[in-house]
Amino acid sequence: MSDRAALRTAVAAVRALYDAAACSLALVDEDGSTLVYVVADGVGADEIVGVSLPVSRGIAGWTAMSGQPMVVSEVAADARFARDVAESTHYVPTTILTAPLFDADGEASGVVSVLDPGVVADREWTLAVLGTLAAVMGLLVATGDGTPGTEDQARLAALGRRVLDAVEDLGP
Amino acid sequence: MNVLPAWSAAFHGGQLATVLSLPLPDVRDWAFAGSTGAGVKVAVVDSGVDGGHARVGGISGGVALEVDTSAPGGFRVVPGPHEDLVGHGTACAAIIRSLAPEAEIYSVRVLGANLKGHGALLHAGIAWAVDQGMSVVNLSLSSKSEKLFAPLHEVADEAYFGGTLLVSAANNQPGPTYPSQYSSVVSVAARRGSGPMSLAYNPRPPVEFGAHGIDVDVAWSGGGSIVATGNSFAAPHVTGMAALVLGKHPTLTPFQLKSVLQAVSDNADPSPT
Repeated sequence: MSDRAALRTAVAAVRALYDAAACSLALVDEDGSTLVYVVADGVGADEIVGVSLPVSRGIAGWTAMSGQPMVVSEVAADARFARDVAESTHYVPTTILTAPLFDADGEASGVVSVLDPGVVADREWTLAVLGTLAAVMGLLVATGDGTPGTEDQARLAALGRRVLDAVEDLGP
Repeated sequence: MNVLPAWSAAFHGGQLATVLSLPLPDVRDWAFAGSTGAGVKVAVVDSGVDGGHARVGGISGGVALEVDTSAPGGFRVVPGPHEDLVGHGTACAAIIRSLAPEAEIYSVRVLGANLKGHGALLHAGIAWAVDQGMSVVNLSLSSKSEKLFAPLHEVADEAYFGGTLLVSAANNQPGPTYPSQYSSVVSVAARRGSGPMSLAYNPRPPVEFGAHGIDVDVAWSGGGSIVATGNSFAAPHVTGMAALVLGKHPTLTPFQLKSVLQAVSDNADPSPT
């Protein structure tokens, strides 16, 4: 499975786990200034993939900057919400959960976003689990070219793929 | 609702251990009662401050430090008004204002629009604040760079000996960052379920203080507000408290001030067991 296919599977699995309208993954570019949506699943997926926006914008951008998983229950009331980006996908969510991915240096390398989950978003487990899954996705990104830097990375990535498979199996 | 930032665990997951403090009677009254922070100069080293935001209520001045490869040191100093490129500095300033309404707030902009900055600018921003005789400096930012360990340590010591208290947020991610790891600063992490004036002392540093930083309603760019979590928002609560103490007791040194902050902590007990 290619790295992009694995990430696509991952966001689909996360979307299923959260019974969400959509799930997407955006990666931070090399100079840390831009987020680019690389895979998505659910409503607006075709529209959001390929979209880039400054890290300084949007709830996903704030997640990348702060390194903090977060849930915003009413995005319309949040000054960080990039409404124009949402509208360009023809789907404006009410609730967003986000969690950062990290590279080996501890820098945010991307953000996974879950839109309008069917589960109650404001619960302890939702962000804890999303943060854990984001960490696995971070490994997938780091080892995506098939040449992991260390054996540990490869083992962790394999573990991550098994976790994602298990999560996918739990989906509806 | 958010998960906890790194370094916050010391203040959660069970009862916080009691710490022995100086035997100061009615210490909260002695420290805070009647103070507005008047006369206390506070620098916010961050992404800039929107002084026009209603929750900031004006600032007393500021400076922007910007990369300039042709300038000595690789940066230039631009005095005067500047905008907040993110909202982060405005959030911190508004928290300080909410606690110490008459403190003199100065904006020292060192971060860019992505909340990233060069280490040289962070160092220069702290040095500027020390040179200007700031009483308290809020640092809701830090560096992972080992190359900056010594230079930041040096300027932190200059601040400490010169009477400037550095209040430094720990990173939201695990691992050491500077200057929050130094004993010369007041290091802060977020603490769940605590009010704006609550404080806890961690008997197992390096992060010494826990303050309000989980799901905080903070000012943001564009005159708005957001609910945010992070050690970044805990630090300015401690900065505000320090400004209040200095408003009443302006001659306190940083080490005396840190002892007072420990004594007013929720888990401090002056009675030896």
